Amino acid sequence: MANAFVAAFEILSFGAIIVLIVLGLGIIASMMGIFNFAQGEFVLLGAYITYLAYAKGLPIWTGMVAAPFVVGALGFVLEALIIRRFYAAPIVAMLGTYALGLIIRESVRGLIGGFYLTVPEPIGGSIDIGAMHISAWRFTIIVITLLVMAGCYLLLSRTSFGLRMRATLENPSLARASGISTPLMYGATFAFGSALAGLAGALIVPVFSLYADLGLRFLIQGFVAVMVGGVGSFIGPVAGAGVIGTLSAALPWIMAPVVADVLVFVLAIAFIKFRPQGLIAGKGV
Amino acid sequence: MGAVKQAIPAAIGGEADVAMDSSGTAKQTSPREILPIVEGVVLVAALLAPLLLQDYLTVFATRVIILALFALSFDLVWGYAGIMSFGQALFFGSAGYGVALLARDLDITNIFLVLPAGTIIGLTFALLLGGFLLLGRHPSSVIFVSLGTLTGSYAADRLARGWYYLGGQNGIPSIAPMSLGSYEFTEGPAFYYLVLGILVVVYLLCRFLVRSQFGLALAGLRENEQRIAFFGYKAQHLKAIIFTIGGAVAGLAGSLYAFHEGFVWPNMVGVVVSTQVVLYVLFGGSGTLIGAVIGAVIVEGVSFWLSDNYRDIWPIILGLLLLLVILFRPLGLISFVLGERERVGSFGARPKENVKENVKEKRNAP
Repeated sequence: MANAFVAAFEILSFGAIIVLIVLGLGIIASMMGIFNFAQGEFVLLGAYITYLAYAKGLPIWTGMVAAPFVVGALGFVLEALIIRRFYAAPIVAMLGTYALGLIIRESVRGLIGGFYLTVPEPIGGSIDIGAMHISAWRFTIIVITLLVMAGCYLLLSRTSFGLRMRATLENPSLARASGISTPLMYGATFAFGSALAGLAGALIVPVFSLYADLGLRFLIQGFVAVMVGGVGSFIGPVAGAGVIGTLSAALPWIMAPVVADVLVFVLAIAFIKFRPQGLIAGKGV
Repeated sequence: MGAVKQAIPAAIGGEADVAMDSSGTAKQTSPREILPIVEGVVLVAALLAPLLLQDYLTVFATRVIILALFALSFDLVWGYAGIMSFGQALFFGSAGYGVALLARDLDITNIFLVLPAGTIIGLTFALLLGGFLLLGRHPSSVIFVSLGTLTGSYAADRLARGWYYLGGQNGIPSIAPMSLGSYEFTEGPAFYYLVLGILVVVYLLCRFLVRSQFGLALAGLRENEQRIAFFGYKAQHLKAIIFTIGGAVAGLAGSLYAFHEGFVWPNMVGVVVSTQVVLYVLFGGSGTLIGAVIGAVIVEGVSFWLSDNYRDIWPIILGLLLLLVILFRPLGLISFVLGERERVGSFGARPKENVKENVKEKRNAP
């Protein structure tokens, strides 16, 4: 019983991490039609900023708060300078963002060297429920993920900002005719997606230590999750991330980890092949 | 009616002029002549290289030639058919692993057995993956194909890392050299010329292929898939065929690479090498076979040259250059000397300028 509970918690917390990472990726892919290969490096940057705050002797949470804002600002600048030129051609956008990611990744690699740097958890210790112990920080990640998810949903569906964002992305010319500044909205959407990646990086760095290929590891999983969930809505990628995260955490409990690893990808690609629209089809929130 | 008839030849003439202008230096002569010159220069340089280079550089040059062969395979797939294969290393690496296993477990190193075996391994994997991703009732989206190949390559990487039989993280070390009878191909000029010979043969075959009607259909596919489909071509079949051919070439390159380096390791099937080959082709210029070769030589050469002093910042520079190329020279470095028309190629006899004048006069006459 205790074992099953621990397993369930592990699965849940890994699922939450994947959801957190995919949120930004999904918003950019769904709303802008761009598969951002630099997203993994935004995650990496978020992690790096948190590490910097820790290394400078500041409380870790200051780094975690700063990370989304810094990465979001960077995303805004990059969108205005570079990403904007790619909207017409999705493949070129992939290559361009890949180049951006390469620059960021190698810069960070140059800064930290080839090391694995650890950052302690801001909330250490464990929560004890009877005889069972679960990591307090992982539990916090689950809670924050749920809050961020709810926040994003409300932002997109209930606020006028969300309405303008969706209007811009669904029909740019009509949005312009209605007096919405579309370039600004594109910039804001991309910045928002990047900020979420920065937040994800900041939160996961105590769990996985900081190394230059941190982002790459999650990027492919994230893309697969977005495709499984369905591009075009907010809720689709989140659902896909839940499924992929849960599967990749659950399968190693019942079979060899190597087989499980590969099986998740094979299953996901096969699923997308036969249901290209994904789990949740359709546009909107 | 008459005005329309006159407008058409005028438009054709105008297009030809534009193509001539864009090729810069070739205003006076036919723009077709630049490509053979570039190819010839590269071939002569490649033939002379071992005579001028020191021994350890010849070994390096051999590796570059093999990578150029690999780049060729990606160029066929992306440059000609517009299939973004982010997993080309899957075929390269699996062939490498295949021949490494042949050499390790069965002691087969005969060149006439291992190279075809590697090619067939690459071909089979490409047929399976390409068939699955590209064929089917609904045409697959570009995004799906690129992410599917990327995922395939990543999954293969993970599999190779975790599978004890394949050597896990360390790969398969110290593969016996390739042999022909009692002669063993070790690193050096002999291996270099062998690889160069293979590259030239494959290059010529590819050149024949892309200048055939099949190749032109592919170029059309890249430019506008729907239109090609409306013409009655089975676009998906064309894509699957070229994807498989690309896989076979990558497999050939992979088996040569395995024997040249003497070991295979998981990166060879993974995302790192997959993206490396994308870099080569984008730099050199996709859609021209020679562009892929030049790209591989430039990227590898500069990285070798810089790696002594600037090892850390070289990848950053590479990223910046790549970004600049994508933004400002989407057709790669080769587009500085090569015009658009020559890139796509043409089929049948080209109309001569004076013939066109005659046509114009005839149409204007009545």
